[in-house]
Amino acid sequence: MNKILLGLLLGALLGAIDGGTAWLTPAVRAQIVGIIIGSTMKGVIAGVAAGIFARKVNSVPLGILFGLVVGFVLAFLVAFLQHGYYFEIILPGSIVGMLVGWATQRYGTSAATPAAAR
Amino acid sequence: MRFLNDKTLEKLRSAGAVPDLSGTRYTLVEFLARGGMGAVYIAEDQSLKRRVALKVLETEDPEGTLAGRLLREARVLVQLEHPGIVPVHDAGTLADGRVFYVMKFVEGAQLDQFLANVPVLSERLRLFLRICEAVSFAHSRGILHRDLKPANIMVGAFGEVLVMDWGLAKILDPRWSGNSNRDENETRFASKPEPGANNQNTQATGATGDGIVMGTPGYMSPEQASGQIASLDVRSDIFSLGKLLEFMTARQAASRTGKLPRALRAICEKAAATNPSDRYATVSALADDISRFLDGQPVSAYRENLLERTQRFYYRYQAAILLILMYLAMRVMFVLYPRH
Amino acid sequence: MAPKDSFALGGGDFPATRWSVVAAVRSADSNERSRALDALCAAYWKPVYKYIRLKYSKKPEEAQDLTQGLFIELLERDLLSRFEPGKSRLRTYIRLCTDSFVLNEIKHAGRQKRGGDSVHFALDFPAVEGELSAQTIDPASIPSPERFEEFFEREWIRSLFSAAIDDLKELCAARDKQSAFALFESYDLSEDEHLSYTELAAAHKITASDVTNQLAWARREFRLLAQERLRAICATEEEFVREAKILFGGDR
Repeated sequence: MNKILLGLLLGALLGAIDGGTAWLTPAVRAQIVGIIIGSTMKGVIAGVAAGIFARKVNSVPLGILFGLVVGFVLAFLVAFLQHGYYFEIILPGSIVGMLVGWATQRYGTSAATPAAAR
Repeated sequence: MRFLNDKTLEKLRSAGAVPDLSGTRYTLVEFLARGGMGAVYIAEDQSLKRRVALKVLETEDPEGTLAGRLLREARVLVQLEHPGIVPVHDAGTLADGRVFYVMKFVEGAQLDQFLANVPVLSERLRLFLRICEAVSFAHSRGILHRDLKPANIMVGAFGEVLVMDWGLAKILDPRWSGNSNRDENETRFASKPEPGANNQNTQATGATGDGIVMGTPGYMSPEQASGQIASLDVRSDIFSLGKLLEFMTARQAASRTGKLPRALRAICEKAAATNPSDRYATVSALADDISRFLDGQPVSAYRENLLERTQRFYYRYQAAILLILMYLAMRVMFVLYPRH
Repeated sequence: MAPKDSFALGGGDFPATRWSVVAAVRSADSNERSRALDALCAAYWKPVYKYIRLKYSKKPEEAQDLTQGLFIELLERDLLSRFEPGKSRLRTYIRLCTDSFVLNEIKHAGRQKRGGDSVHFALDFPAVEGELSAQTIDPASIPSPERFEEFFEREWIRSLFSAAIDDLKELCAARDKQSAFALFESYDLSEDEHLSYTELAAAHKITASDVTNQLAWARREFRLLAQERLRAICATEEEFVREAKILFGGDR
C-alpha cells in the first residue's frame, strides 16, 4: 500500500473515531453524524497530505510535525466555522494529524518505479 | 668487496623491493601497505590517467606457487563484480618476474579509523549490513573470504564500503577456479611463524589438523585456526563477521552506557559461536536479524521475556503510543471538565 | 650463480645449477664438502668476525683466530651435518655455533693454541677491521647485548649485498653494460639523496629515460644475483622465501 492511500485510509479511520468521541459531549450529541462525517473528511485530507509529504521527505519527526500543522489548520478551520469548541476540535485534530504523519513515515511504500527502469 | 654503510644498505634493500614497472602502463607513485603475500603500491595508469592500487607478490616464490595464487586472487575478484568488493582492472607479470594485479585505488579509511567518527549505533549497524551484502554475494558465488577483519574493510570517500584483500579466499565452487579439485585451491604456506610475530596481522599459525593455515587470530573461526581447511564453509566467514560486529559495537558500548542491548549481544554471540552448527546458517540470516533489530522487531538470536517484549514494543511505537495516550487523556479531561 | 669468492681451501668456480651449501656439506665427496665450507665462509666470515669483536670485546688478532677457528671447527667436527633445516635458519645456527665456540675457547683459554699445520683461510681481516672502525666510530652504533642478533643479521645482509654488487659488476662487464653499473653505483650506492635522474642523465650524457631503463635493469639483476647468493646458503626453499623477505625489507 502506498503512503498516500495509507494516509487516506488511516486519516479516515482516525477522523471517524475522533468524530465519534463527540458523543461523549452531550451538548453536541444531536449533531454526531455531521461531526463524524466532518471529522472523517478532515482526517482524509490530513492523511493524504501527510502521505504526499512522506513520499518526499523521509523523516519521522518532520512527518509528525507536518501532520501536526495540517491537523491543526484543518481543525482550526472547522472550529472557526463552528464558532466554538476550539480546544475540543483543535487539540484532537492536531493529535490525529500527528498520528497519520507518524504512520505515513513508518509505513507504506514510497514513489513508484521510474519509467526507465521498467 | 666494497663496504656498504647503513644508509646505502637501506637504500639497496628498498631499491630491491620496489617493483620494476617497465613494460607496463603504470608508474609507481608510492608504497601503500604490506600484506601477508604482497605489497600494495599506489601507481598511476598512464593510459587512463588515474590512480590505481597495484599489488605485487613480494614473497619469493621459487616454485611459482604463490604467483599462481596471486593471479587466482585476481581472477576471483574479477568474478565478484559487486559494489562492495574492490574491482580488479589488470593482472600480469613484471619485468623482474614478480606477478601483480591492479585494482581500484580506494581513497578512504580503514573501518576502525572510520568508526571513530560514527558514534551512533544504528549507523554502525547499517555499515555492517553493507559488509554483509558483499560477503553474502561472494558466498553466492561459492567464495569464502577467510580473512574478514577491520583492516580488510575500507570505507571510501563517498561512504562506499569495500571488502578488500581476498588473498586467502577459498573457492568452494570449482567453476570459478577452473580446477575441479577443491584441495588444489588451498593456500599451502609451508613457512612457520616468525618468533614474536605480531598477532594483529594475518599470519601463518602452527600446523595442526589438515595443514598450516593463514588467518588473523581473534577473527578466524576455531575450525580455521585448527587447520580444518577442507571442512570450512560459509559459517567460517560468519564467525568472522560476528567478531567484526563485536568490534563495531564494542566501542559504541564503551562510549555510552557501557552495555549493548541484549538482543544485539545475542546476535554477536550466535554469529561467533564456537560450534559452527550454532551459528547463523547464512550471512543473509545474520543480516536479517540485524535489520530486524534496527526495525525494533524481535530477532531470532534472542528470546525475549514479557517485559522485554513490552519494552521493545513501546520503543518501537513510542511516538504513536504517546500520541494515543495524549489523545485519551485529553478526551478524559474534556469529559471530566467540560467547557461551557 | 654460485658464490665466487675462493680461498686457499677448495676454491674454484661453483656449478651454475642451483646449489645449496647445506646439501653440499652432507655430500660424500670431500671436495664438495670443502666447497660448501668455502661458500659458507664467504657468506659468513665478516658477520662472524664483527660479531666476535663487538660481543666478546676481542682484540682484532684474537677475533681473527676465533673466526678462522670457527670455520675449521665446522669442518673438522662436521657441525653442519647436525643442522636441522626445519628447526631454525642456517644463519641462526651459525651464530649459535659462534657463541658456543667462543665461549668454549674462553673456558679453555689455557690449552695449546692451534698449530701451524691447521687449515688457514685467506680472509681480508684488515679491510673488515677498517669497516668496523668506520661503523663504530660513534659509540651509540655499538649494539647493546640484546641487539646482537639484529647486528648479526644486518652484517650478514651487508656481506651478501656487497658480494652481489661485485657479481653485478662482473655481469655488466661481461654484457658490455658498464654504463648501467656506473649509473647504479652513482645512484643506488651513493649517499646523495637529492640526486635526480635528470642530473644523472646530464652527467652521463644520456637521456633521463635511458637512466630509468638502465637503473631498472641493474636493480633487477642485482636483486636476482642477491637471491642466487642467498639461495646457495639456504637449507630449504621455505627458508629462502623467509630470508629473501628479510633481505629486501619485506618484513617491515
